[in-house]
Amino acid sequence: MKDKIEEVVNYIQERCLWQFVSRSWDREENIQGIMEMAVSLFNDEKVVLETDYDRCWFADAKIFISDVKRLFSWSKDLTKEESKALFTGVKDRMLEITVEKSRNEELNVPYY
Amino acid sequence: MPLIKFECDASIPEREKHCYIKKPGEDTTQYLPLSNIATIPGSLSERGCSYCGAKLVIGGVVKDAIQMIHGPVGCAYDTWHTKRYPSDNDNFQLKYVWSTGLKEKDVIFGAEKILRKSINEAFDEMPDVKRMFLYTTCTTALIGDDPKAVAAEVMAARPDVDIFVVECPGFAGVSQSKGHHVLNIGWMKDKVGTYEPKITSEYTLNFIGDYNIQNDTLLLTEYLEKMGIQVIAHFTGNTNYDDLCGMHRAKLNVVNCARSAGYIANELKKKYSIPRLDIDAWGFDYTAEGLRKIGAFFGLEKEAEEIIAEESAKWRPKLDWYKEKLTGIKMCIWTGGPRLWHWTRAVEDDLGIEVVAMSSKFGHQEDFEKVIARGRVGTVYIDDANELEFFEVIDMVKPDIIFTGPRVGDLVKKLHIPYINGHAYHNGPYMGFEGFVNMARDIYNATTSPIWELAGQDIRDLSYGNNTTEDIVELPSAEAS
Repeated sequence: MKDKIEEVVNYIQERCLWQFVSRSWDREENIQGIMEMAVSLFNDEKVVLETDYDRCWFADAKIFISDVKRLFSWSKDLTKEESKALFTGVKDRMLEITVEKSRNEELNVPYY
Repeated sequence: MPLIKFECDASIPEREKHCYIKKPGEDTTQYLPLSNIATIPGSLSERGCSYCGAKLVIGGVVKDAIQMIHGPVGCAYDTWHTKRYPSDNDNFQLKYVWSTGLKEKDVIFGAEKILRKSINEAFDEMPDVKRMFLYTTCTTALIGDDPKAVAAEVMAARPDVDIFVVECPGFAGVSQSKGHHVLNIGWMKDKVGTYEPKITSEYTLNFIGDYNIQNDTLLLTEYLEKMGIQVIAHFTGNTNYDDLCGMHRAKLNVVNCARSAGYIANELKKKYSIPRLDIDAWGFDYTAEGLRKIGAFFGLEKEAEEIIAEESAKWRPKLDWYKEKLTGIKMCIWTGGPRLWHWTRAVEDDLGIEVVAMSSKFGHQEDFEKVIARGRVGTVYIDDANELEFFEVIDMVKPDIIFTGPRVGDLVKKLHIPYINGHAYHNGPYMGFEGFVNMARDIYNATTSPIWELAGQDIRDLSYGNNTTEDIVELPSAEAS
């Protein structure tokens, strides 16, 4: 699973702008929102889009999951539990890279 | 050592922390160049001033406002006409320049009177124009003029006009980036919410961070309008002053730029609960992805796919033709900040081009996180590069083409290396499907042109037709004649 997580993380690093928004708070919001949506979309579950924020995470997650299924042939063999573990692992690793261990000194600046 | 010190920086070793070469397996938690800090004395920086960032890049694009610059005339002239952002109202904002034209006596005795007079004169001369951006400069900030007070007086006397004051003198920050911030956050604080736009669609968005360079905005707007989406405000390409005041009514903020564009989107998120969707508007695949995301947000997936299919049918064959010719060429991107990370994968995926060196004049660490994550292993990444570093990088990576601004572009041209204006383009637009084909065409034309080799020849040593250098007749000297 660790290798699979790294493969997906490498894809996100090269492709997705949603990981690198302006501050820690919105990076955390984005990554958590998109990964939660990703689990449902990956397992073809109905997603509830109550707010505009939900719709925004859905938009990013839809492209993300489409690419994961297209680029990683192993993804079709994942069980639901394994997919949950995959995207939880990806979320943790993304938060580690972009927030917790980020060297970006502006991430926690309260003003602009 | 991934952080590198160039030979030319022997006397300014601090530069090492601004220069990086990516190694396999590294990510931005290990190395991230310093950026958005003061230029080290002794380094011949290519940066602009903070006032320039506010006026030339953001405010000056607005198509229906007077751009009053309170300072010596040079501050106005040097931020006028140097960037090509047209508009659909006969380029009002490019045709005129306004300045209070300060002189020494104004510095000594104060310049608020001349500012008041200039504002009134401008509105009198252009009675149909009722909006104004008013900028301070280094001089007027130092002498302590209060442009907000003057603007308030004029607005009280002329209730039909509105003036937005940008207090960002050239010295306010380390680069033009500060000017972007001051204008954006000031606009959010003072202007957003003061105008109610007419809503014509249930699908509304603001497009933040595109400045209509050679009509980029018109292409993007065409795609969105075909999808049935109303663009309430395009920040700030081909836009009206009042439309920018109505940004609070959009359902989505689409962000194409970085930092201060993101900051205004974040403030709209906090204050008006409008979500922020970041996209890349340059690149064939990126444009398709951006439209798909916007379509997914509004439930307009079918409409997005129709545009992608239509545009792909029209432009993909041309793009593929250029890709075949351009695959394997080496490119440098030495621009401001966002274009580094917007372009590096786009030119690689869509055109087969390898980006071997990138330099950002005013990017922040956010920009370097993005570009290092997206960029190639072995590529050189530099913050606020100086001229001598550019020479060393050219020797190191031997590029086939360099995208940069006119200042560094002149250096590059003298070395007979193909150069394309990365800020204002050669023959744009460059955004969207059609735009990326234009960009590919300009790269192809630049890299296959014989001019670079010809420019390197010393014609004094050449023969022409039947004439040789021996046939050159010496003219009689002035004394002899």
